[in-house]
Amino acid sequence: MSVSTTAMKRFGAGICAWFSAASIAMAFSACEVTDTGGIDDNSFNQTAWKGVLDAQEKHNISGRFLESQAETDYEANINSLLGGECDLIITVGFLLGDATKSAAETNPEQKFSIVDYSYDPAIANVLGQIYATDEAAFLAGYLAAGVSKTGVLGVFGGINIPTVTVFMDGFSRGAAYYNAQKGTNVMVLGWDPETKEGLFTNNFDSLDDGRAFAQNLYDEGADIVLPVAGPVGLGSAALADELGTDKLKIIGVDADLYFTDTEKQHVYLTSITKQMDATVLQVIESAMDGTFKGGNLLGSLANGGVDLAPFHDMDALVSDSLKQELADIRQGIIDGAIPVRP
Amino acid sequence: MTPVPTARKIDTGKQRQARIVGGLLIALAVLVLFVFAPDAPGAATFRLSRPTDPWVVPNLVIPAGPFTYAIAALLAFLGVRQFLRGGVRWTSISLGFGLALLVAAFLVWATTGKAFSLTGMLQATVVRAVPIALGGLAGVLSERVAVVNIAIEGMLLAGAFAGALAGSVLGGVGGLFAAVAIGGLFGFILAALVVTYRMDQIIAGVVINLFVLGLTSYVSSQVFQEYRHLNNAPVFRSIKIPLLGDIPVIGPVFFNQNLFVYGAVIMVLVATYYLFYTRTGLRARAVGEHPKAADTLGINVYRVRYINVTLAGMVAGFGGAWFTLGSVGRFDEGMTGGRGYIGLAAMIFGRWHPVGALMAALVFGFADSLQQKLALLQTPIPSEFLAMAPYIATIIVVAGLIGRARAPAADGEAYVKE
Repeated sequence: MSVSTTAMKRFGAGICAWFSAASIAMAFSACEVTDTGGIDDNSFNQTAWKGVLDAQEKHNISGRFLESQAETDYEANINSLLGGECDLIITVGFLLGDATKSAAETNPEQKFSIVDYSYDPAIANVLGQIYATDEAAFLAGYLAAGVSKTGVLGVFGGINIPTVTVFMDGFSRGAAYYNAQKGTNVMVLGWDPETKEGLFTNNFDSLDDGRAFAQNLYDEGADIVLPVAGPVGLGSAALADELGTDKLKIIGVDADLYFTDTEKQHVYLTSITKQMDATVLQVIESAMDGTFKGGNLLGSLANGGVDLAPFHDMDALVSDSLKQELADIRQGIIDGAIPVRP
Repeated sequence: MTPVPTARKIDTGKQRQARIVGGLLIALAVLVLFVFAPDAPGAATFRLSRPTDPWVVPNLVIPAGPFTYAIAALLAFLGVRQFLRGGVRWTSISLGFGLALLVAAFLVWATTGKAFSLTGMLQATVVRAVPIALGGLAGVLSERVAVVNIAIEGMLLAGAFAGALAGSVLGGVGGLFAAVAIGGLFGFILAALVVTYRMDQIIAGVVINLFVLGLTSYVSSQVFQEYRHLNNAPVFRSIKIPLLGDIPVIGPVFFNQNLFVYGAVIMVLVATYYLFYTRTGLRARAVGEHPKAADTLGINVYRVRYINVTLAGMVAGFGGAWFTLGSVGRFDEGMTGGRGYIGLAAMIFGRWHPVGALMAALVFGFADSLQQKLALLQTPIPSEFLAMAPYIATIIVVAGLIGRARAPAADGEAYVKE
């Protein structure tokens, strides 16, 4: 979808920042504070910054970012952006939750937005951006059930926490929906949405776990595996690469791994993406037209906050009728006709 | 064999131990009978071969009820036998056998009415055991010369990193040599710190671990992010040994693995020969048991320690390369995930013997792959508990409840030549 912008951004982020500084006299200014991953992390910091760049292109605003090198930088970076030069401060990531909260409470006039975090109770001047990942995962489950030749799908997670299991829930229910529609019996190994028990590596570091867990699922007949474990999933991709994609395919999470894991891009059937850029753009727009309100913004299929990535190299494996069904289901989820959560 | 009454009385401590084991086995029999047997109608299916194998073996179908009762009976027999005429020699054998029976009963119980690939699980056992076994072997080599090696984790990580970097540039074999060299370098550094500078061995090891973790994380986040081709190493594929590799079950488990599996087995055998059947090995062990006596006999204690700790580092470096060149072909921060420490546990479980460390690593690998299967089978027992089981066993062994695990006498002490 956004190949050229993604590529451009990696090299052009600095230039863009300079460019926007030159035209600083313009009306609206959006400032971003990154997590320690940095602005070019191929993941959420970069995707969120892309939202600012998109707004820059579309609405001619000015944008700038500050990178946090360590957790101690969060507060200092936010504080240095206070004082009126930023109309909106966007903080990226769960870990900035506390720093954002304290800055927002001492500066009630300043508008804040934080990616991947929500406050309960809501803070009047902070908009949390959260994601209904299970909607996109539901589509991925349906797709995988339709593409699988063995009729067995596999899924495993990093740690049994809600941000991980929400993927697994949606994936399982999507496959179950396929069974209900087609009268098939496609199995999903590794997660039971009822008991909330399943297969977990219990870490986000050991890539060889990713390989071993995918091998385990493959041994039990799975030919499509969804690893929801951050970099651990790259180990699963290594196995798929070795076995061949006719035997094992992988579904990526968070970003479109076809572009971020370029060495193994051929193993990805699709990716379940969180489009932070879409929600960031939306928040900037709301702050510009005065509709900004504290609370939560839910990224969903409806507003493009979550999505299913294109099939890229595997496009030929997905039949036209399956593509049509996926489009119908997407519409059904957006309309509320198809319940993703029971 | 006529028992000598007086000799038996002297051995009351061991006899009490034999009695305890006997009682334990009987308790296990009761456990199997009452916990596993009641809901036992149906059968457990173990798949032994994949459809692509040359000789397809039919599935192993075990009727749960009769099997569980048979296991309970066997356990009870072992227990009673042990209790009544607790031969010292038999204690650990019957305990090991009893625990294996327990695991078998548990597996059949968990799988009743379901099926999974037994061959796949055993294959995973061997694969997962490799880094642990090599870490354990590195521990044996250095602790046999009385240098406690906490730094195994760091050496594994350094080997993984060097393997990925050099492997991407020079190819797999080049990466392997680089990993072994870097591991050896850190072994040498450890030796220098603790032998020459007499630094506390635990602290020196922890320092190396933290240093390697920091350095590799920094480089991978700063350099590998930007230059991705430097983190794209080839993976050594499985090598099938002709004929042996075609044997059902055993073939795929032992004879269709990659270079690291064969390498680990060979290294364990060579290390055993070196430590226990050569003169240099005897000298190395003497340095670990009583360095002063060894010194008096003209053995250069410092040199022996330097050589063995460096060798240990090379073994750990090879084990580290498994993570990248033997598994996933790329490096990521902290990817060894504490396997070096588990290797240390394997060394202790294996009683400071290379073969023992390998066996312990296989037990840990088995628990690991079993846990993965149980998570799929949705058993009532949380799989995390199973993951703990081997470490509980290690604690029991270290605490000396079963047999005795004795570290080399001078382990952890710096030697000061007078």
